[in-house]
Amino acid sequence: MEGLFFNVNGGYVEGIVRGYRNTLLTGQNYGNLTQCETIDDVKLQLSPAYGDFLASLPPNPSTSSLANKTTDKLVAEFRYLQGQSTGTLLKFMEYLTYGYMIDNVALLITGTLHERDTRELLERCHPLGWFETMPVLCVATNIEELYNSVLIETPLAPYFKGSLSHQDLDELNIEIIRNTLYKNYLEDFYKFTTEHPELKGTPTAEVMAETLEFEADRRAINITLNSFGTELSKQDRKKLYPDFGRLYPEGTLMLSRADDMEGVALAVSGVHDYKQYFDTVGMNGGMSGSGPGNMSGGGGSDGKSLEDMFYQKEMEISKMAFTRQFTHAVIYAWVKLREQEIRNITWISECIAQNQKDRIGNYISVF
Amino acid sequence: MSGAGDREPVFPTRQSLGAMKSKLKGAETGHSLLKRKSEALTKRFREITRRIDEAKRKMGRVMQIAAFSLAEVTYAVGGDIGYQIQESAKQARFRVRTKQENVSGVFLPQFESYTKDENNDFGLTGLGKGGQQVQRCRETYARAVETLVELASLQTAFVILDEVIKVVNRRVNAIEHVIIPRTENTISYINSELDELDREEFYRLKKVKNNKQRDNNAAEEERKNSKRRGSDKENDQEPVDVLGEQEDQDVIF
Amino acid sequence: MAAPVSAYKDRHFLAVIGDEDSVTGLLLAGIGHVTQPPDAQKNFLVVDNKTEDSTIEQAFDNFTSKRKDIAIVLINQHIAERIRGRVDTFTEAFPAVLEIPSKDHPYDPEKDSVLKRVRRLFGE
Repeated sequence: MEGLFFNVNGGYVEGIVRGYRNTLLTGQNYGNLTQCETIDDVKLQLSPAYGDFLASLPPNPSTSSLANKTTDKLVAEFRYLQGQSTGTLLKFMEYLTYGYMIDNVALLITGTLHERDTRELLERCHPLGWFETMPVLCVATNIEELYNSVLIETPLAPYFKGSLSHQDLDELNIEIIRNTLYKNYLEDFYKFTTEHPELKGTPTAEVMAETLEFEADRRAINITLNSFGTELSKQDRKKLYPDFGRLYPEGTLMLSRADDMEGVALAVSGVHDYKQYFDTVGMNGGMSGSGPGNMSGGGGSDGKSLEDMFYQKEMEISKMAFTRQFTHAVIYAWVKLREQEIRNITWISECIAQNQKDRIGNYISVF
Repeated sequence: MSGAGDREPVFPTRQSLGAMKSKLKGAETGHSLLKRKSEALTKRFREITRRIDEAKRKMGRVMQIAAFSLAEVTYAVGGDIGYQIQESAKQARFRVRTKQENVSGVFLPQFESYTKDENNDFGLTGLGKGGQQVQRCRETYARAVETLVELASLQTAFVILDEVIKVVNRRVNAIEHVIIPRTENTISYINSELDELDREEFYRLKKVKNNKQRDNNAAEEERKNSKRRGSDKENDQEPVDVLGEQEDQDVIF
Repeated sequence: MAAPVSAYKDRHFLAVIGDEDSVTGLLLAGIGHVTQPPDAQKNFLVVDNKTEDSTIEQAFDNFTSKRKDIAIVLINQHIAERIRGRVDTFTEAFPAVLEIPSKDHPYDPEKDSVLKRVRRLFGE
């Protein structure tokens, strides 16, 4: 039944996205990329997929400019989709951009706090997180002004409201602000996809619930792991956990009490997937200190870190989203896949540029 | 400094000769000591330059690894953290202090790194995503900076040693090419002067002796002559017939 | 001859002039220091294509001559190239000036001012 009217508004966009999905690099492409000797070769290999966007790059471009150009393509395609969408889909796509907005706003807050000229920060902002009133943020010269007159105008205002006052902006670490915003954002997004009358009960709600729950759990676990040894107290930490997800509520409660890696492992043991990750990481000797870092020291591709596995899982969820029809979730999935692709390209070209070929296989490819 | 004719303004006396000789001896001892110091320093210096060379190459590798770990962070965080890092830097966690090391009487400063663990500006960086990579990157970079600090110590030692060796060599050369020749010149000058005096004295003595001898001889001659003259007189007289061939003169009492 | 203790007793910090990645990495290592307000001075400078050579020179002079609390100045080699004259004429022992490689510019021993001196000394 749900598919009956979906195509009226979403059919075209969904079709386009599925087309985009087919242009994503495949394992074969990645195989070719890893064989490249120079960045120019990489550029050449990417030209079928990225053609026009890479054309303006100088010979042997830096990896960061390569990443910028590939991001440009994502942005252009996203903008096109946004232009084609209506109704809940438009709203959905706006939600997608909020995540980037949070990063941008955090950046601008940092700049304002240190009395930098925030104008030059604008070009550092993620283009997907661009919102119309963003340049206005630069007008503010102090935090109170920024908070009272400017942030309130942004789409993120609801996420500030109730959890952050302007004093907080001044006193709290920017990372805590960022994560508080992100928590509020995830909860809001979750609520939107699962409770909005037009989305409730549709495949969108179903797929997005799974994706966002995973995202929420991932954040909770990461925050817990990363907060060990920092001044972040357990109460404050607890406030950063999103109030949903497969771990919620027992798991998050246990997470909030965890003191070390074992504590976290215990907290997540209720969920089979996560337990498996921790077991794998644990077997690789990741328990001690900095173990769960990315590719613990030269272990090569078999020594996957927790974050690697989370990324892998995210990609698999995104891939699965394409098996569903009549859903907005494919857009979300596509954006995530493209982001991972950009990261992969950056990673591979970084490995090539810096002559670290033994680690080149650490990209994540699901197709 | 040709040295020829260059000498210290001293009176050519035996006393100053003694002084000069001890000065020469001092200069030679000093020279050999300084020479040895310079050799020791140069040895050290060469070692340091070799180590600098090595360390610089090592730095190339270490920094590459560090840069790569930053790439890992970018990969994991999925964005640029540069600006945020720059803005959240407040108090240096990684600092150096300076120790001294004594090499052949030269104090070489040596940097030693230490961390102020209470200063942790980036503890929460990457809280939501990539925090572990950030921490690992910090460790990698901290190790890289340690290498850099080591290299800085070597380099400072290099600069100071370079300076010191120059000074020492200058001294060695000064002693070798100026002081010693000059002292030697002075000594030979004094010697020659003294010899001259000696010769003069000798000649004088000889002269005196000669004169004396001549006088003596003359006196002897004189005496001899007079003696001879005396005896001649006797001899000149006819032998007296003491047996009375002659008429004895009457002895008149 | 050794420099008097006062020349380096108070030198505790490292300073860096470099591209964004190098500076970010070194700051992560914890060398970043901003002095107390009001004159809040940073001990790092991010250089990009838009940075004027005069700004770099100024920062270099500031780190090497004006500030007395810096023990080591790190500078990316390709940036040192831009103010080569200034770097080559700096021969003091304190602070030590180190040329470091950057991500996009691997280290070239041929250009290093100290190694140049080494070679000159050994007549190579």
